[in-house]
Amino acid sequence: MLLTGQDKEKTLISRLVKKHGRQQSSLIPIMQSVQAECGFVSEFAMQYIADLIGISASEVLGVATFFHFINKKPKGKFIIRLSRDMSSIMKGAKSVARQLENDLGIRFGETTPDGMFTLEWTSCIGMNYQAPAMMVNNEVFSNLTPPRVHRVIEDCRQEFNARRPTVGNVGETYANTLNYTNHEINSGLQRAVSVSPSEVIAELTVSGLRGRGGAGFPTGIKWNLASKAKGDCKYIICNADEGEPGTFKDRIILGKYADMVFEGMTIAAYSIGAREGVVYLRWEYTHLKPHLEAVLEARRKSNLLGADILCQKGFCFDIRIHMGAGAYVCGEETALIESLEGRRGEPRNRPPYPAERGLHGQPTVVNNVETLATLSCIISRGAKWFSSMGTERSKGFKLFSVSGDCSRPGVYELPWGITVDQLLETVGGQGAKAVQIGGYTGQLVPARQFDRRLAYEDLGIGGSIIVYSAERDMLEVAENYLEFFVEESCGQCTTCRVGNQKLLEGIRLLQQGKCSNRYLNDLISLSETVKLASKCGLGQASPNVVIALNAHFKEEIMARPILGAA
Amino acid sequence: MDTFPSNDESQPAADAADAGNHETAPVETEVPLIAVTIDGIDVEVPYGTTILDAARRVGLRIPTLCHHDDLCTAGVCRICVVAVEGMRTLQAACATPVTQPVKIQTNTPAVRTARRHVVDLMLSNHYGDCTICKRNNNCELQSLAKEYGVDYYRFGHPTEPKYAIDRSSPSVVRDMNKCVLCRRCVRTCSELQGVGALLVKGRSVRSRIATFGDKPLSSVVCVNCGQCINRCPTGALTELDQTDEVWAMLDDPTKHVVIQTAPSPRAAIGECFGLEAGSQVTYQLNTALKRMGFDGVFDTNHTADLTILEEGTELIIRLYQALVQGDTDIALPQFTSCSPGWVKYLEHFYPHAVPNLSSAKSPMQMFGALLKTYYADKKGIDPKDIVVVALMPCTAKKFECNRPELCSSGFKDVDYALTTRELAKMVAESGIDLPHLPDSPFDEPFGDGTGSGNIFGATGGVMEAALRTVIEVVTGKQVENFFDHANILPVRGIEGARMAEIPISEVGPVPDLFKPLVPDWDWLRGVTLRVGIVHGSANAKMVMEDIKAGGPFSKCHFIEFMACPGGCLGGGGQPIPTDAAIRAKRSKAIYQIDSDFAIRKSHENPVVLQLYREFLTDGPCGHIAHHHLHTHYSPRGKFMS
Repeated sequence: MLLTGQDKEKTLISRLVKKHGRQQSSLIPIMQSVQAECGFVSEFAMQYIADLIGISASEVLGVATFFHFINKKPKGKFIIRLSRDMSSIMKGAKSVARQLENDLGIRFGETTPDGMFTLEWTSCIGMNYQAPAMMVNNEVFSNLTPPRVHRVIEDCRQEFNARRPTVGNVGETYANTLNYTNHEINSGLQRAVSVSPSEVIAELTVSGLRGRGGAGFPTGIKWNLASKAKGDCKYIICNADEGEPGTFKDRIILGKYADMVFEGMTIAAYSIGAREGVVYLRWEYTHLKPHLEAVLEARRKSNLLGADILCQKGFCFDIRIHMGAGAYVCGEETALIESLEGRRGEPRNRPPYPAERGLHGQPTVVNNVETLATLSCIISRGAKWFSSMGTERSKGFKLFSVSGDCSRPGVYELPWGITVDQLLETVGGQGAKAVQIGGYTGQLVPARQFDRRLAYEDLGIGGSIIVYSAERDMLEVAENYLEFFVEESCGQCTTCRVGNQKLLEGIRLLQQGKCSNRYLNDLISLSETVKLASKCGLGQASPNVVIALNAHFKEEIMARPILGAA
Repeated sequence: MDTFPSNDESQPAADAADAGNHETAPVETEVPLIAVTIDGIDVEVPYGTTILDAARRVGLRIPTLCHHDDLCTAGVCRICVVAVEGMRTLQAACATPVTQPVKIQTNTPAVRTARRHVVDLMLSNHYGDCTICKRNNNCELQSLAKEYGVDYYRFGHPTEPKYAIDRSSPSVVRDMNKCVLCRRCVRTCSELQGVGALLVKGRSVRSRIATFGDKPLSSVVCVNCGQCINRCPTGALTELDQTDEVWAMLDDPTKHVVIQTAPSPRAAIGECFGLEAGSQVTYQLNTALKRMGFDGVFDTNHTADLTILEEGTELIIRLYQALVQGDTDIALPQFTSCSPGWVKYLEHFYPHAVPNLSSAKSPMQMFGALLKTYYADKKGIDPKDIVVVALMPCTAKKFECNRPELCSSGFKDVDYALTTRELAKMVAESGIDLPHLPDSPFDEPFGDGTGSGNIFGATGGVMEAALRTVIEVVTGKQVENFFDHANILPVRGIEGARMAEIPISEVGPVPDLFKPLVPDWDWLRGVTLRVGIVHGSANAKMVMEDIKAGGPFSKCHFIEFMACPGGCLGGGGQPIPTDAAIRAKRSKAIYQIDSDFAIRKSHENPVVLQLYREFLTDGPCGHIAHHHLHTHYSPRGKFMS
């Protein structure tokens, strides 16, 4: 019997539903698999999935349209996504973009008529130290120049004819990670299971470790809350949705020290009594998945995962990898949980906090990749060792992803408390005009404040450092940031959804020399409102750049000639 | 009474975490009291109370927009932000529970600025002119703009529309240019109604409310209940306005324009004229309608009574076939078919259960059919010149009256179904001051209705009316012998889905009207009649799943389903706002009207009895009745082209 396309989709979906289960949390994995098979998720497929897992088709469409990497329409065989982060723009992404448009004869957002190539911008793919960079399907290409992308396109065309797999080319990243290198794998876990869970939590609390994702919540306190919360099945989630533009340290950790991350998750499971672990891996890091699966499998074989871990009766824990689908806001822990449950990745109202009621209503600890890796070292070598580094309120060391106008970009493991000046010296960024500390949501520090310290007391930060040299146009920087926030806002709250759009329009007015002082004041006042009244960390931080520009670069931004004036 | 765990009206889904969780019945537990200080006023509230509710307790009004007492918390519009001591950012009062003693300020410079900005930002994306908007003077956005002193468009204002207006649906018009993305409609459609016709599509500044595949509303699974209209804070969702067409008919001297009025609008239309919710204006409304030029003003309650006899008879036949003749193909429980939103819901989501629906038309359609046959004959008017208008609390009635199968006279049974809101507009347009009008009776040949017909407007009403009749017909005794004042309290209530058991301990002789159908009632002696009452489509979904799984509702004989929360009195065509408190007041009015009637039982309605004597001469469910008063349904399914 001849099968129609729809029959095939039905068979495929039925198989996938059987594999992933008939619940809403299977929705995104099912759509990803349908896309892998069919290239996109059709309306028919959405309706059929909805029927099988018992939700409305509208809900499926709402989720599908929330995420970047779920195609609602057929796209090219090769989907080229050029990174639009500031590091890429500074290193010539725009000329690369022109080359791509010329080579393919299409604009961004379009697909070639032969259905071969689709061209898109994407927010940040974690390759800032080798910018500009792009992805072709799941492969990453970095250090791009116009001639190089031309060759990549040629390779794709030939590869398609030859049916050979493409090989992405990523250079080595400069990484200085001494403490991680010295960590004896699983020594932290061995030590953890030799004492009681509460002792592990106490050790962590004493160490003063704070969340490395950016918010800086004390890890020990989070674990303590989760360990006390009642629940049948607690969860440990590793937040590997590293989306902050300019950050790539988690990618390096997952590539080089995956064992340490899983070790950290297992210690967490032991401490709070969790049975299930999830690595929420951003879609842009799909290329890491086979490696991570292999490490997990090896750990299962060594009795480091599974039942009765390390012969501890009743200590059962396993880890699975869940692929993100392209949404920066899913780095926010409640949005991440929403998307794990198969819904739009929109941050929840808090309280309740995930430690009390998280994934599937169960107590859930969400920790950043770096937090988990670092705590393995801490449990192995002791809180004292860790807290001997850093400052009064910022203990230990931190990994920084450095990119932009400096001669030695890369990942640096540095103790807390160094000044911006010292950092710039280390990475070869002397003479900078400003430094973005802590990614787009962090703070833009002008040269005259380079004596400020990297520490929670002063510039408490995530891990992204972008260096801007004297010739950089700060309005272009702000425009790029706000374009990013407008794109990545989940869109639920008014202040973030519309407010950021108005701030972006304001920056464009400034670029054209058409922004009055009065309107600039309105924009600054609006920035304060967006920070104060938005629901989650994205909106609460997105206007920082506007405020910083007004505070530190007002003369520069108000000095633009009026565009179009004679 | 047996209570089924449900989306309970008395427990508005206020807790975000419990939203959509219909499985757990509300449990009474000891909740500790927490002392909070709001704007310097000390108050103790139960742990978990939202700041919004705590403020309401001390008489402070915090503005809201995305919040609606019927819906789960969203916390997205940010208009309700307040300052909480110790918190770096402002907190949404509607979404923040009080869990420890705190100091809260609702009126700081930062709060006022933020609220003003929220309104400014909404207006920067709100295209529309208040003076030509349906919701002029009844718009939450407009009120907020006034309240926060918005006197210019600080962050701009759209100068042209972005979206085409969707007028495809016979019931709901969508103008997304006016949408402020509060998502109340989406939550209404999925949480309260279990339909999911609307969704939030895309993200960021591009996110918008859409239908599946951006199809016109008429081409997606929508039951036309109009609950979304009732919860829209702006004019983005409105009913399809047919007032001009009705005016044209009234102005046409060749047309004989009559109107039938349903019970629910009478208990609600006063709200549009500044009266307290639950004010009864039945007879004043008659005066208004006559002054507006209607040639006949009739009470739909008569055909509600007729429905009881037809539907009740159908139930008796089904039970007889199933219990006595042992026919296992008989579809039981029988479902009511008065609510067009429910009927379409069933056709879409449970097409296999179409045989369970009573084949009786809704009271509105029955009246229409009678007006164009029996009444036309009596009056000597050609049915083609008769225009039947119906005043309904419902937007789905607009779809129902256009169903092609509903035209037993050869003409549409009902030509126009107007909502309460539309008629209020027409009354106002006529310069009529409704609250100060004298009373007028309903017109002959029908005259006044009964109490039973009237309670059709409230959840449980159809069931109560049916039971009053069934009990008397079967036992041969007054229902008052079993229930005080004929008030069958076990079926009343506000739980979203509930059951009641009525044991039949004695039987009497078969009345003449039913003699052709059954020889005696002996087979009913000792039988316990199990009935269910369901309102709100999300509850209907739960009950249908329960029936599928063989749960308690599958053992019922008869179930009343109403698409809208509260039944018709909470219909999608009723005045805005409609919430739990307003529904309770309307409900009280409806039961009050019932108890004021001299005749409170459908089978005692003289008009109905006269109809069976003069027109439907072969009795309930006879051939004539079947032709005019019964219909059929079409399984629709969820896949729509």
